[in-house]
Amino acid sequence: MKFLPLFWSGIWRKPGRTALIFFQVSVAFALFGMLQGLKTGVDHAAAAARADLLIVHSRLSFLAQSLPAGSLEQIKSVPGVKMAVPVDIFGATYQKPTQGLGVVAISLVKDWPAAFTFTVAPEYLAAFQKLRTATLVREELAEKYAWKIGDRIPLMSNTAQMSGSTDWAFDVVGTFRDSDVGSGRDNILINLAYLEEARFLGKGTVQHFNVAISDPKQAATVSDEIDRRFANSPQETKTESLLELAQANAQSIGDMNFLIRAIVAAVLAALLFATANMMMQSIRERRVELAVLKAVGFTDRAVFLLILAEALLVCVTAAAFGLALAALILPLAAALVVGLSMPRIVLAIGLALAIGVALISAAIPAAMAARLKVASALVSG
Amino acid sequence: MGSVLTIVVGVACAVGVLISMLAMGVGVERQATGNVRADRVILSSTGARGNQSSIPKDEAVGVRDLAGIKKGVGGAPIVVFDSLIPIEAHRRVTGVRIFFPLVGTTANFTEYRPEIRLTDGRMFRPGLHELIASNPCGHQFTGFEIGDGRPIRGADWIVVGHFEEGQTLQCVVYTDVDALMSAFNRNTYNTVSVMLQSPADFGAFREALQANPTLHLEAQHESEAVRERFIGLKGILDFAGYFVGAIMAIGATLGAVNSLYAIVDSRRREFGTLRAIGFGSAAIIASILCESLLFALPGALLGGALAWAFFNGLAASPFGYSFQLAVTPSLGLIGIAWALGMGMVGGLLPALRAARLPVATALRAS
Repeated sequence: MKFLPLFWSGIWRKPGRTALIFFQVSVAFALFGMLQGLKTGVDHAAAAARADLLIVHSRLSFLAQSLPAGSLEQIKSVPGVKMAVPVDIFGATYQKPTQGLGVVAISLVKDWPAAFTFTVAPEYLAAFQKLRTATLVREELAEKYAWKIGDRIPLMSNTAQMSGSTDWAFDVVGTFRDSDVGSGRDNILINLAYLEEARFLGKGTVQHFNVAISDPKQAATVSDEIDRRFANSPQETKTESLLELAQANAQSIGDMNFLIRAIVAAVLAALLFATANMMMQSIRERRVELAVLKAVGFTDRAVFLLILAEALLVCVTAAAFGLALAALILPLAAALVVGLSMPRIVLAIGLALAIGVALISAAIPAAMAARLKVASALVSG
Repeated sequence: MGSVLTIVVGVACAVGVLISMLAMGVGVERQATGNVRADRVILSSTGARGNQSSIPKDEAVGVRDLAGIKKGVGGAPIVVFDSLIPIEAHRRVTGVRIFFPLVGTTANFTEYRPEIRLTDGRMFRPGLHELIASNPCGHQFTGFEIGDGRPIRGADWIVVGHFEEGQTLQCVVYTDVDALMSAFNRNTYNTVSVMLQSPADFGAFREALQANPTLHLEAQHESEAVRERFIGLKGILDFAGYFVGAIMAIGATLGAVNSLYAIVDSRRREFGTLRAIGFGSAAIIASILCESLLFALPGALLGGALAWAFFNGLAASPFGYSFQLAVTPSLGLIGIAWALGMGMVGGLLPALRAARLPVATALRAS
């Protein structure tokens, strides 16, 4: 610790240069933190998805195939199933062709929203049950289109009503939140009973069933049992947990890994050159001072360590600053990309890389300083 | 020497990353627009697009009588009816499930899409559960060999042919529209596509469309319809590219400032001499800025070359949409402009310092 004032004066010998290198390292690690946070955040969000919630859809096709609504009783009778509800979905657009949204038709069972990933205020639920054409809209979506309770929202779709019209209108009675990272952001909930009555085609069928099970560890067993009950029937099912679905989604972004790695490599390469260059300059300018240190009894080893310590101090504090900056910015970006967060492992890897950069870039300058010949340095100075 | 290398490497990395990331957006655009022709028009129901659009059969047939449509073999107008169904496939390597469009289309679609070239097998036959798949399907996903059956709506649909469709990496599968619609209980098409006699007939065609009260359809040039589909993804990719590129540029600029300060410091005497023999501050500022730009330029070229070597033609499929990254000359120009910006900003403060050095002290410097 008694050497601290010594590195401190070494570091601030040229405050302008140190500040510049400090910011350069900070910027690099802020970028590293954001990129790595994006990747690890997505992986973590996927791992945090609920294993105790299952989706039963047709084995033939996830999206384009429906199941008979009557399968519900058979699913409910599978041991381990706590609750099962039928769900139908269709796509619609609001005002402009580019403003698409998902219409999710549910049949409301008591306690269901809480058992699944939805959060709805009780008064909204009551209003939703009372009005056939009611809709609950996702909070973000209500904000996006400035919808208020009592608004009637007109939608266009390719699902025909009994009249042949493909235009629908729903009354906003409240909002909901959905913690499932896999579900789309632009979703509204409507009453399945109303859809069933009003639609022309597809009566008596649903797109999938949401199932809650009592023990998440039994997810695989319960899924297999549900699928077994429908095996070899025209309505074969495929049951997956939200966890499995989220993991598949996370993998589809996995192709970005190569790019992220390449960027991080480029950042670190540029940084190595910059810090090595800074240390070289610093050593060159301080030949005389270093020679004096040696003359008063500092060993070669002590000088070597002194230079390394200076580089470490600058790099690690700058990296910590940059990573902190990324940790501050990431939550803002999370509004755009679901599931962004900065896990601690990213901080740890970042600091380890900073130490690596400091040691590698300072090694040669420090060795030069250690090998400095006292007499010649003092003469040339 | 070390200082110059720092500038060159810093700029090269920043430019390389910027170009590689922008190459994704360019790749998406190039793939989407690669087959676009000016004489093709896409009709969808008013206010809707793609899957949301729904056109009753009788309304679709009415399109055939509109003005400006090119006649195909046998004198029939080239009007194609399409129905899109998303179908799942599994990746060959990872087994991950993704969705691709199964396009039901009418038999004359080869007149509408002359770029389609069967490379293997034969065309699908109307009314049967037969598919033809683009070659990328077989490369990326399992179950697309000729003779493979794909379970769709309770029946096995047989892959009977493979085709090539320009440079795209996107998997596309065509089948007979009537077979597909009856399998999925649909009675409306999604889109109607038309080939015009010439691109100049678009106005006349649209007028005829609007004048017909039984047709509630919107006509778009193919380029416009395709653009609407990829512009969102391109926007996201470009934003990410400029965001990361800007952060790296800030880092490289800071590095350049540091290095140029060092260069200026080591040449104080030289600048003192120049001032003493009558060069003004402006000349010195200009000379240092020029030097800084000259260091940045090889950095840009190096970065561009590295981006091209590593990423040009690389296949990527973020969000399940497959395309090839494209490093183009225009991206190179963006990279050079970006690098010159870094050189300019980075050189400014050091240049001012050099210009402000008092001549007497500068000459005394070692």
